[in-house]
Parts: sequence; C-alpha cells; structure tokens
Amino acid sequence: MLEIRDVTISYHGMPTVTDFSLSLEQGQIFSLVGESGSGKTTVIRAVLGLLAGGGKVTKGDILFEGNSLLGNTSEQWRALRGRDISMIFQDSGAMMNPTKRIGSVFVEYIRTHEKNISKKEAWNKGIMMLERMRLANGDNIMRSYPFQLSGGMRQRVGIALAMTYQPKLLLADEPTSALDVTTQAQIVRQMMELRDEYGTSIIMVTHNLGVAAYMSDYIVVMKDGKIEDEGNRDVMIMEPDNSYTKSLLAAVPSLGGVRYV
Amino acid sequence: MFENDEMILETKHVTRKFPASNNRTLVACDDINLKLYKGKTLGLVGESGCGKSTFMRFLVALDKPTEGKILYRGKDITKMKGEELRQNRQHIQMVFQDPSGSFNPKMKIRDIICEPLMNFRKIKAGEKDAVARKYLEMVDLPGEFANRYPHNMSGGQRQRVAIARAIALEPEIIVMDEATCALDVSVQKTIIELIVGLQKKKNIAIGFIAHDLGLIQSFAHQIAVMYLGNIVEILPGEDIGECAKHPYTQALIHSIFDVKMDFTKQIECAEGEVPSPLDVPVGCPFQDRCEACMEICSREKPQLIPLTEEHLVACHRY
Repeated sequence: MLEIRDVTISYHGMPTVTDFSLSLEQGQIFSLVGESGSGKTTVIRAVLGLLAGGGKVTKGDILFEGNSLLGNTSEQWRALRGRDISMIFQDSGAMMNPTKRIGSVFVEYIRTHEKNISKKEAWNKGIMMLERMRLANGDNIMRSYPFQLSGGMRQRVGIALAMTYQPKLLLADEPTSALDVTTQAQIVRQMMELRDEYGTSIIMVTHNLGVAAYMSDYIVVMKDGKIEDEGNRDVMIMEPDNSYTKSLLAAVPSLGGVRYV
Repeated sequence: MFENDEMILETKHVTRKFPASNNRTLVACDDINLKLYKGKTLGLVGESGCGKSTFMRFLVALDKPTEGKILYRGKDITKMKGEELRQNRQHIQMVFQDPSGSFNPKMKIRDIICEPLMNFRKIKAGEKDAVARKYLEMVDLPGEFANRYPHNMSGGQRQRVAIARAIALEPEIIVMDEATCALDVSVQKTIIELIVGLQKKKNIAIGFIAHDLGLIQSFAHQIAVMYLGNIVEILPGEDIGECAKHPYTQALIHSIFDVKMDFTKQIECAEGEVPSPLDVPVGCPFQDRCEACMEICSREKPQLIPLTEEHLVACHRY
C-alpha cells in the first residue's frame, strides 16, 4: 500500500535521512524507534509532504497505492490529507487553534472534505466520532476549548479527528509520550482497535520500546538517519542480532528488572 | 523502616490548600507523612496533577504547606526565615525536569556549577575553573565543557550539569523532579546509574518524582504512591511487582509496557480519568475508578494502615 523506496531527505542540502526504504501493507502496524534526532519524525512527515523548514526528498520515491506522492500538487495533497492519510501528533492540543472551540475545528474539517454537508450534520458527525473514541458527553467537548481538556482527552480528540474519514493510513508521531501511564494504556488499546475495526495501517514513531513492542507487527530501528536494524516484532524483541537494538532493549526499565541498589 | 539508617527529614501532616474560584479550595496535598533517610531514595509516583511536585517543592522551601511541619534534623523548615532559610538551602538541593529551563542561557557551564558555591562564599573566583572541572568529571563529563554554554550540549549532558550543580554544595538531600523523563531511554539509563553511584559515594538522600513505576523500582529504596493529593500506599522498592496491594498501584503496574511482556494479552488499565482535584469525592479518592469499590468506600476515607512494618496501604479491603 505504501512504499518508501531508497529515500534520502535533506534539509538545506544536508542529508538527514539516507536510503530509507519501507513497504507497508493494509492493516499492518509499523513502528519507527530510535533516539531523538535519528530522523524518525522526518520520515513520516515526508510521507505526508509536511517537511518543515526547507526539507526535501532529494532521492528515491514514495508511493501510496501505486502513485508517487512527491509530484503532488497542493490540490491533490488536500484531497489526500485527512482523508486517505491522517496524522496524530504528540500533543493534539498544540495542533489545534487555541482560540477556537473543538466543535468549530471539527465542523470546519468535515466541511472542507465534504462540500455539501450542513453545519448541523457536521456537528453531529463530530459528536459521533468523539463518542466512538469513548469520549462520553460529546456535545460538551465540542463546546470546549482545547486548554479545557486533559492531555488524554485532547489526544482522543486528535484521534477522533484523524479517524473521521477512516483513513487507509494513519501516521502517529509519539502519540502517547506526553501522557500518563494509565492514559497511555487506554490510547494504545484504542489505536489497536482502529486497526481491527477499520483495517487502518499505522506507522508509529516512538521512543518507547515497550509500546512499540506491544503494538506493532514490524519494528524499524533508526540511528543517525539510517535504518540500523529492522524485522518482525517477535524477532526484534526476543532474539535481536544487532548490538544497538540490544542496548536499546536493555535500557528499557521493567518491573522485576535490573536494580541498582 | 531502615532502623539502621539515620532519618534526616520528616514531614508531619503536611497539607496544602490552594484557593480556587467560587470560594472553593483545591487540596493539592492532604495529610502527608513521609520520611527521608540518609543515603536512601524515596520515589514518589502518581499521575499528573496528583500533587507530587507540590509536595517536593516544600522540601526545598520553594512553597509552604498550609498545615503541618517539615522537620529537617529536628528543625521546622516551614518556619524558617531570612538568613537561616538561606543557610538551610545548602543542605537541600534540587534537579529539575527540564535542565535547559533551569539554566541561565547566557552563563557558561563553569559559572552555572560554581554559582551556588560562590553564593555561600565557599570558593574564590580564581578557583572556579578547577572546581568546575572537578564536578564535571564527577558526573562523567570532560572538563573542557566548563567553557561551553548550555545550548552547546545535548539533553543528557545538560542533565548531568544540573546534577553537578546540585551536588556542588555537598547537600544531604537532593530532590529530583522527573529528572529523566525528557531523555531517551538509553540516556536515562546512564543518568540513573550516575545518580545511584553518587548516592553511594556521598550518602545522599534522594527524593525522586516519577510517573514510571518500572523506572522508579530500579533504584528506589522506598516508594510512595500518590493519588489526588493522598498517599495511598508506601512500600519497599524491591518487590513492588509482587506485593503492591492498593488497586491504584496495581492499575499503574498493569499499564506498564514492557519488552518482556506477553504481547497477546490485552493490556489492562484503569478506566476513566483522574477526577478534578477541585471535587475530590467523599470517602476513598480512587472509588470512581476502582473495580473492587465497596459501599464503605463512598462513605469513609481509608487511612494508611501498616500491613507489615515497611508496607502501608490506605484501602478498606485491608
């Protein structure tokens, strides 16, 4: 479904990610793990054409359902983004306009993608999506500002927005790292249900190896802009070959694990 | 607990109330009694907004409790003022979550590390370079870093500088507020190893705030679990996995993602969210999310009762 072929991404001529390849099928969950600055976010931003500040794909190609994404016009991007490919950010609160209520963001989003839908219908569709994401009291949330919601609720709103059109591909950039452990567990469970219900493929960027191991079918370990190691989840976690992967796994704190005192 | 170790700090019935709108009050910390022992680590865990940072700020006298006492070597630090308070700050130091936010960006690392020493006139200006190098080496950084600015360093290196600054005055207690949660796991591991090494060498008492139970159990001697301003369980660090009793502690344990877990099993987690601290329910604070909630839980607030000498739990089931 999505194929990234030998992609090199540069910021102002400096290659940040080199020779990155990945191929994803419908319903699969991939994780990109690695330390900060290893280029994980750059890769998924490139898929959605959202490279920040002068970033460019200088080599290779990104194919979504057989069509290259790199030559897309802004019209084509607009049709694709938020419909076939959606993204969840680390803090969905920061993504939303702080001076607008959730409802007005939601209605604007729906009416951008569906031209002949009334405001009322869009509002109700928003509430329905929120309730699917287990946010009871949808009407109340639609009337709230982002800052009035807790981090976990904001993240659920972000997922509800992203899932409105049941995208084929969901890109998630550290979706749980700003959350408490209990909320993180709830969000992880919901993201896995998305795959089961809608067959959504997910590429997740995370530095939490525990979450990556639990959720994904396939794990890609990145280091300094290159793929350091990759493989099926069970192989990567149970019997890793690569010394860098091993050291990352050993650093994950676990209950009943290493004690220093 | 730790009979052989010297107790240096004790909090007695510490309560902090903040005034809120419409004549309501927000109880951020409710009757907290904890002890810090020489050379031991107390880990404080809980979700955001449960009052853990508020509590730790009392220890460094950045804020004062509404009620209760904080005794450092028998003296109440909440009553201290002026020069006495200033002198007392030498003994209790703090490391913050975001080191870049707690440094002056225009100061060189040398000046950052030596500032507390200069403030207390422990060293002369001419000795700064040598002293800064000594402390940088103590936290496994090259001495040349003394000439750098904070923005020339990575997050892990900055956190090491923050630790160097905290130990410069040879304090007895260091409070660390989520000191590793902004770092990568591999860097986090090395920082924890550094902290544990320094603690052994210098016999420092550490108060460590975290929300990751897996991390905290790797080096805390004693763990206190906090929920909505209340301590719900205090237990020894080594066997939290097996002997945690309080339903909230168990919920925290179940929601840990571990690379050694069974991936086919549904992850269990406490449903719902923490209620607003403005309307804490009467009775047990955890009743709305508790699976084992009984009738008594909505009437009476459970008190901390000892199960063993080292293990206290506030739950009506015990």
